[in-house]
Amino acid sequence: MSLVLERQLVLVAVLLLAAATLVQVAGVVFGRSAYRPTAGIYTAVVAVLAAAIAGRWVREGQGPFLTLYDILLSNLFSLAVLLLLVTASLPGVRSATLFASPLLLVLGVWLTGVSEIATPLPGAFDNAWLWVHVLSGKLFLGLNLAATAAASVMLLQGAVPSRRLAALAAQPQETEQQIWALFFVSFICHSVMLVAGAVWAHSAWGRYWSWDPLETWTLVTWLMLGGILHVRSTFRNLSQGVGHALMLAAFAVAFLTFFGVPFLSIAPHKGLM
Amino acid sequence: MMSLLRKLASLRLTLVGMILLAVLAVIASRRADVDAGVTVVPLAILVINLLAALLTNRSFRAQTGLLVFHVGLLLVFVFIGLTVLLRFDGHAEVLQGTAFDAAQVETVDQGRWHDNRLDGLEFYQGEVRINYLPGLNRQDTHSTIEYRTGSGELRRVAIGDTRTASIDGYRIAATFNKGFALLLQWSGDDGSEILGAVHMPSFPEFDWKQVTTWTTPAGQEVELELDFDRPVSSDTSAWTFGDTSMAYTVHVAVAGDAPRTLQKGESARLEGGAIRAVDLRVWMAYQIEYVPFLPWLFVAAMLAIGGLAAHFARRYLPATVPAGTDKKEDALAHVARA
Ligand code: HEM
Repeated sequence: MSLVLERQLVLVAVLLLAAATLVQVAGVVFGRSAYRPTAGIYTAVVAVLAAAIAGRWVREGQGPFLTLYDILLSNLFSLAVLLLLVTASLPGVRSATLFASPLLLVLGVWLTGVSEIATPLPGAFDNAWLWVHVLSGKLFLGLNLAATAAASVMLLQGAVPSRRLAALAAQPQETEQQIWALFFVSFICHSVMLVAGAVWAHSAWGRYWSWDPLETWTLVTWLMLGGILHVRSTFRNLSQGVGHALMLAAFAVAFLTFFGVPFLSIAPHKGLM
Repeated sequence: MMSLLRKLASLRLTLVGMILLAVLAVIASRRADVDAGVTVVPLAILVINLLAALLTNRSFRAQTGLLVFHVGLLLVFVFIGLTVLLRFDGHAEVLQGTAFDAAQVETVDQGRWHDNRLDGLEFYQGEVRINYLPGLNRQDTHSTIEYRTGSGELRRVAIGDTRTASIDGYRIAATFNKGFALLLQWSGDDGSEILGAVHMPSFPEFDWKQVTTWTTPAGQEVELELDFDRPVSSDTSAWTFGDTSMAYTVHVAVAGDAPRTLQKGESARLEGGAIRAVDLRVWMAYQIEYVPFLPWLFVAAMLAIGGLAAHFARRYLPATVPAGTDKKEDALAHVARA
């Protein structure tokens, strides 16, 4: 696949995400469920991005693992896949796409402005642990986004009493349980990512932990996730809103760690030497 | 006694320990004057807190998965602590065609209880081949070394990238750092003959500056520059590091004297003797590391993760099933897989 076609596919995906965002807003305005059209659009986004990634993979002879463009492209794809799967199987958290869609749109717009030139992968990237690390990281981010976005909708419902908003999560108890279940699985995935990353770093760079900014912020994220689960156990009558707000804070840190820290600092994670 | 244990097991203390660990980790990673060792304090708080909780908190008795997770976590903390006390981390450059010399090891970090056995470490440096793609993009590394295993068998392996060698419990890993070395023969006016190597700066990192200063056995400071007749590395095409058969010139400069050039086999007179350019070699830098509990650290971490998964299956999974659904497995298949 040519680079031009790849760029066009990315553009189509971005336009689709803009449409998904509009559909979500329209759903709130008209007080109707926007689940079906949104799921349709997400399916199209997944298909278009899958084609772009496959074409790039074949052309460059390597997966999208290294540059900012690679990371944004692959995460946009994995986030869309996971949101689609989660909302299909857990109706309680379908409202997540209200906030997830604009976030994906922002990532997509960012992607269109980034250089797409591929950098060859260093030899140290040829490692099974890297796969475990990358896949568990993507699972973490997708599941955590689904939980956090649904929790944010509940926060909004609490702050702005409106019947239309209330219709977004008709069974708050079920939604609440599913949010925390997703959050817990995302914590497991994050733990796997941390361990696999350390094993990979040890075999590739000869150190399993070196307190670089990315590692430090990943540890902070992990402590926040575990800490939030602890807070719920420690303070049994914690209000729902506080739990959701803490979740939002942890997601913000995780998001900045994924997309901010690796590109501001340090060579090893970019593998350039 | 029991009431003290209960106080030490407080879940609020856990939160304090976690917050302290996070804050100190961020500070230590941002400020050069704060050592990551300060994280030992919150880790110690968490270990004591967790031990007390494991002994007194009933939640663990009723929830096996949670218990396994926290025991795994405790073991992770303990193994990290032991590793910090026992570990050794150092770097050494080894010249092609020679044996590793413990005296050349630069210690990066050594645990308080580490029993240094580097003097007994023996291996021999063979050929080095490192392939580069255009843009100076390092690909596969093959550094051949020879050593004797515990049973006396001679082993020859090419290490690099994800392959390391383990000799006497020390892990030998190739680093990205390597370069050329000049093999020089010193013939002193006093009749002394010394064969030695001068390591030039890292290559291709300092491709543009293959210069170093060297003090002769007679005490004179000399600047040596290695100049290849044709470029060795390339930014625009693929090339391989490790070949030493190419033509080169050595520039020898001494303060106040006109610089001289030497080809392979030629000599130059200096104060108190003469040097002869004998040969070109490569040197390879290794990380020499001793991390005894690493496999156990991994086992403990996996135990913790298994415990978490079990806890999830028992505590959270049933609650996520939408009311009135009996197709529980279908509805949650992806969550269970994840
Ligand atoms: C080091 C001291 C620690 C102590 C004393 C401790 C103690 C406990 C206790 C007693 C529970 C059970 C709460 C209940 O069901 O009533 C619990 C749950 C839990 N702890 Fe810890 N813990 C510690 C550290 C950690 C750490 C470092 C993490 C991860 C970052 C962690 C993650 C969890 C999780 C995920 C749960 C399950 C919460 C849930 O079921 O929602 N713990 N802990």
